[in-house]
Amino acid sequence: MPKPQDDMIRGTLDMLILRVLSLEPMHGWGISERIQQMSDAALQVNQGSLYASLHRLTRQGWVKSEWRVTQNNRRARYYILTRAGERQLGVESDQWAKLSDAVDRVMGLA
Amino acid sequence: MRWVSDILFRLRAIFARSAMERDLEDEFAFHLERETEKHIARGMDPDEAVRLARIGFGGEERFKEGARESWGVTALTDLGSDLRFAARQLLKNPAFSSLAALTLALGIGGTVALFSVVNGLMLRPLPFPEEDRVMSFWMDYNWRGEEFDLVKDVPESFESIAAYSSLGYTLRTEAGSTLVRTLVASVELWDVLGVAPSLGRTFLPGEDRPGAEEVVVLGHGIWQREFGGDPDVVGRRIRFDGVPHTVVGVMPEGFYFPTPEWDAYVPLDLDPADGAYANNGWLVLLGRLRPGASEAGIDRDLSAIAAVLDERYDYSTRWDKTRDPYVIPVREYLLGDVRPAILLLFATVGLLLLMSCVNVTALILTKTVDRTREMSVRAALGAGRARLARQVLTESILLGLVSGVLGMALATGLFDVLVASLPIDPAFRTSLGVDWITLLSALVLAVVAGSAIALAPIRNLLRGELSEGALTRRSGGNGLHAGRMQRALVVAEVLLAVVLVTGAALLVRTVEQLRALDPGLDPEGVMTVGVVVSEDETTEAERRVFFQRLLERTEALPGVTAAGYINRLPLRDGGYQGSVTIEGRPDLEGVNRPNAMYRPVSPGTFEALGVEVRQGRGIEPTDIAGSPLVAVVNETFARTVWGDENPIGRRYTTGFVGTVEVVGVVADVAVADLVGAQPMTGFYAWDQAQAGTGSGILLAKTTGLATSLAAPIRALVAELEPRAAVGGVQTMEEAMEGEMAEPLRLRFFLGLFSALGLVLGTVGVYGVVSYSVHRRRTEFGIRMALGAEPGTLLGTVIRQGMVPVVLGVVGGAAVALLASRTLSGFLFGVEPTDPLSLASAAGSLLAAGVAAALLPAWRASTTDPAVALRSD
Repeated sequence: MPKPQDDMIRGTLDMLILRVLSLEPMHGWGISERIQQMSDAALQVNQGSLYASLHRLTRQGWVKSEWRVTQNNRRARYYILTRAGERQLGVESDQWAKLSDAVDRVMGLA
Repeated sequence: MRWVSDILFRLRAIFARSAMERDLEDEFAFHLERETEKHIARGMDPDEAVRLARIGFGGEERFKEGARESWGVTALTDLGSDLRFAARQLLKNPAFSSLAALTLALGIGGTVALFSVVNGLMLRPLPFPEEDRVMSFWMDYNWRGEEFDLVKDVPESFESIAAYSSLGYTLRTEAGSTLVRTLVASVELWDVLGVAPSLGRTFLPGEDRPGAEEVVVLGHGIWQREFGGDPDVVGRRIRFDGVPHTVVGVMPEGFYFPTPEWDAYVPLDLDPADGAYANNGWLVLLGRLRPGASEAGIDRDLSAIAAVLDERYDYSTRWDKTRDPYVIPVREYLLGDVRPAILLLFATVGLLLLMSCVNVTALILTKTVDRTREMSVRAALGAGRARLARQVLTESILLGLVSGVLGMALATGLFDVLVASLPIDPAFRTSLGVDWITLLSALVLAVVAGSAIALAPIRNLLRGELSEGALTRRSGGNGLHAGRMQRALVVAEVLLAVVLVTGAALLVRTVEQLRALDPGLDPEGVMTVGVVVSEDETTEAERRVFFQRLLERTEALPGVTAAGYINRLPLRDGGYQGSVTIEGRPDLEGVNRPNAMYRPVSPGTFEALGVEVRQGRGIEPTDIAGSPLVAVVNETFARTVWGDENPIGRRYTTGFVGTVEVVGVVADVAVADLVGAQPMTGFYAWDQAQAGTGSGILLAKTTGLATSLAAPIRALVAELEPRAAVGGVQTMEEAMEGEMAEPLRLRFFLGLFSALGLVLGTVGVYGVVSYSVHRRRTEFGIRMALGAEPGTLLGTVIRQGMVPVVLGVVGGAAVALLASRTLSGFLFGVEPTDPLSLASAAGSLLAAGVAAALLPAWRASTTDPAVALRSD
C-alpha cells in the first residue's frame, strides 16, 4: 500500500480539483478517488487537506456546494464548478503548461 | 462579483458557524464511510477497514482546524473567544471588577471633562476671523473719547482701531421691558472684528458722530427671542432705552462680542461738544493688526501713541497712560488668564489617572499571580505565551473600555461643577460643553489605560515561572518576587496621594484665612437687586418717586428689617472713583490729589449691610436735596487725610457731588475686593447725589432667607413702574462667596480628588497586605500551632504592610514640598510649604495605611492552625 503523498506540488491541488469538477459535480471522497484514478494512482491526495482546499475554493467563488442524495441514497456534499471557476481553470492550466514546458526544457526532456 | 461571495461566505462562517461545523462533521463522516466501504469491497475485515480509512484520512481534528482556517475568519473568532473569556473573568469577580472599573472611570472621566473645558476655552476659536490679529489696548485706566480720536490713526501696524463700552439698555416690547446687554461702539468695530451681518448692514461711517440717526444692530439671540426671527425686522423702529432706533442689521448665529451675553450693538456718540467726550474715561480700545505686522512695528506704534498723548495731556502720576503702553491678544483680554487653574487641575487629574492605573495594576497583579495555575495549565495544553499575553491584554482593555464608558457618563455629569470651578466669565460657560471629540478622547484614553495596566502582568507572564507554579505546591514563603512589584506600586500610590492631599490641605487653609478676613459688613439675610429705568422715557421727578416708593414698599415687606440703595455692589463692583480736593490742605493738590471711591447710600443702607458707624453719624433721612451736602468717610479715608485729627466737620470737594462736610466715619467696608487694603471711600446721601438717575442697587435685609425676597421685590418693581427692568438679583452672601469662588471651588475639586486618592491608596495597601496574608496562611498556621501570640502576628503583619506606606509618605512629602510652589498663585495667607498641611497629609495617609492593613492582619491573627495546615 503506497503511503499517501503529502507533498503534492504546492498549488496544484486546487487546479486538479477544478479539473475534476469540470467533468461533473462531485463530493470530496469522489474527487480524491477521481484524481488517483486519472493519474493512474501516481497522485495520492492527502484526504484531510482536500477539504481545506475545497472550502477555500468555495469562499473564493470558484466552486459552490450543495447537499445531494447519492445513488446509494446517502447525503453528501457535492461541489460544483462555477463560471468563475471555469475561467480560473483555464488560467491555471495555461500557467501549468508554461511551467511544465519550461521545466521540461531545462531538464532536456522537451 | 467574487468579493461578494467571499464576504457572504465569511459572514456565514461567523453567524452560521454551528451549521458550518455540522456540515464539516457530516462531510468527514461521509468520506470515512465511503473509504471504509471501499476497503470492505476489496475483501477487508470491517474493523480493519475502518482503521485503514482513518489512517488514510489523517488527524481529523487537525484537518477540521485546517478547514476552519480556510474560512478566513480565524482572527475574528479568536478575538471573540478572548473577549468572551475576558468578560467571564471580569464577571467572576464582581467586587474586583467594579472596584477597578470605578477607579479607572474616575481618572478617565476627570481627564475628559477637563479636556472639554480646555477644548472649549483655549482651542475653540472666537467667533470672528483671524482672532490672533485682534488686540486690546492697555486699559489700566479706561480711554476717553478724545483720546481715542487722537490715537486711532497713529499706528501703522493696525488696519483699524475701534472703541467700545458695554451698557445695559432697556428694550420696550409689547410684552414689557427687558434689560438688554448692549455694546456701544465706534463704527470701526465691524472692521476690527471682520464679521458681516446676516441681514442688513452694520454701522455707516459718521453714525458714531453727533446728528446721526439712531440705529441698532441686533444679535441673533435677541432677534430670535424678541422678534421671532422675523426677516422684516430690518428697517423697523424699536424703542430702545426709550428712544426710537432703526434696526439696520442682524448678526449671524454664533456671533458674539465680547461675550455671548451681549445682544445688541449701537454706535457711540463721539461729540466733542459733550463734556464727557474730553473727561470721562469709559472706553476699551480694540485694534486689528495688518497681516504680517511685526513685534518691532507694534512697539514703534505704541511709543508713537504714547508720544501723542504725552504732548496733549498732563497726566496725574497716578494714571499716566504714557507710562506703560502695551497690547494683549483679545482672547486673553476676554477670557483672562485661566491657564494656571487649568494646568493645576490637569496635573491633579493626571495624578489621579496615574493612581487609578497603578491601583488597578496592583489589583490585576494580585489576580494574575492567583491565576498562575490556570495559566500554567493552559500553557501545558499548548497555548503559546503570546496567546496568553493577548488574553491578559484583552481582559485589561475590556476593563478599560467599560471604565471609559463609565468615565464618559461621569464626565458629562461632572462637567458643570468643573466649569464652575474655573475663573471663567460666566457668559462663556454657556459656550462650553462635552462634544464628540472629547468622548472620542475618552475612548482612546480607555484603550491606553487598559493597555498600560496590562504591562506589568504581561511582563511577569513572559518572564515566565509558569511551569513552576503548576508543579509546586503553594509554599509557606511570602512570595517575595510577586510581592515586590506590588509593594513598589503601593509606594508610588501613597506618594501620589500625599501630593494630592497636601494640595487640598493648602487650599482648605487658604479658604480659612479668607473667611477670617473682615469684610466690614454682615451679608447674612441681605438680598441685592439691580433696578434700571430708562432716563429718556421718564422724568427725573417720576424716577425719584419710583425709587422712593420702591424703598418704602420693600421696607414694609414681612421680615425686612432694613433697606437702602447703593450705586455699586460691595465686594463685587469696583470702579466709580474720582479725585478729591481737601479743604485747607495745599499739600494734597495737583498730582498729589487723593483718589476716593464714590458710593452714594440711602439712610437704611448702612443698617442693611451691618456697617458700623465708628464716629459721628451715618446718612440720615434729613440729608435731602437742598440741605447741606454731607459725606461719611471710611476709616482709611479719615486716617490717610487727617491722621489723628478729628475728621468730623472737615470739608472736601468731589467731582460727583460738590463740596461736602464730613459728618461721620464708618468701618472699612470691602467695597470692591475682600483681599488687600481697602481704598479711601466716601459715602454720600443718596438723595443729594444719586436720586433722580435711572439706576440703583436695592439692598434689603430680612430675618428670613435672603432669597425669599427676590420674587416680592421683582413684583414690586413691575407693579410700581412697568418701564423699569430688574437685573442682577443675588444675595450678599453669593456676592461674598463669589469673591472666594476660585479658592473655594479649587478646594472642592482638590478635596474631592485627594479623597479619591486616599481611597485608592487605602485600597492598594489593603490589596497587597491581604494578598500576602492569604499566601502566608500556612506559615501563620504553623506559628500559631507553635504557640505564637495572636497579638504578635497582628503586629508583624501591620508592620510589614506599613513599610511601603512609610516609604511612600516620605517620598510624597518630598515631592509635595517641591511641587506645592505651583499652587502659590492660588493661596492666601499660607506658605506653599506650610508644615501643618504637609503633616496632615502625611498623617492621613499613615492612618489610612494602618486601617487598610488592620483587617487582613486581624484575619491572620485569628487563623485556625488546623484549617490553615490542611488547606493547600
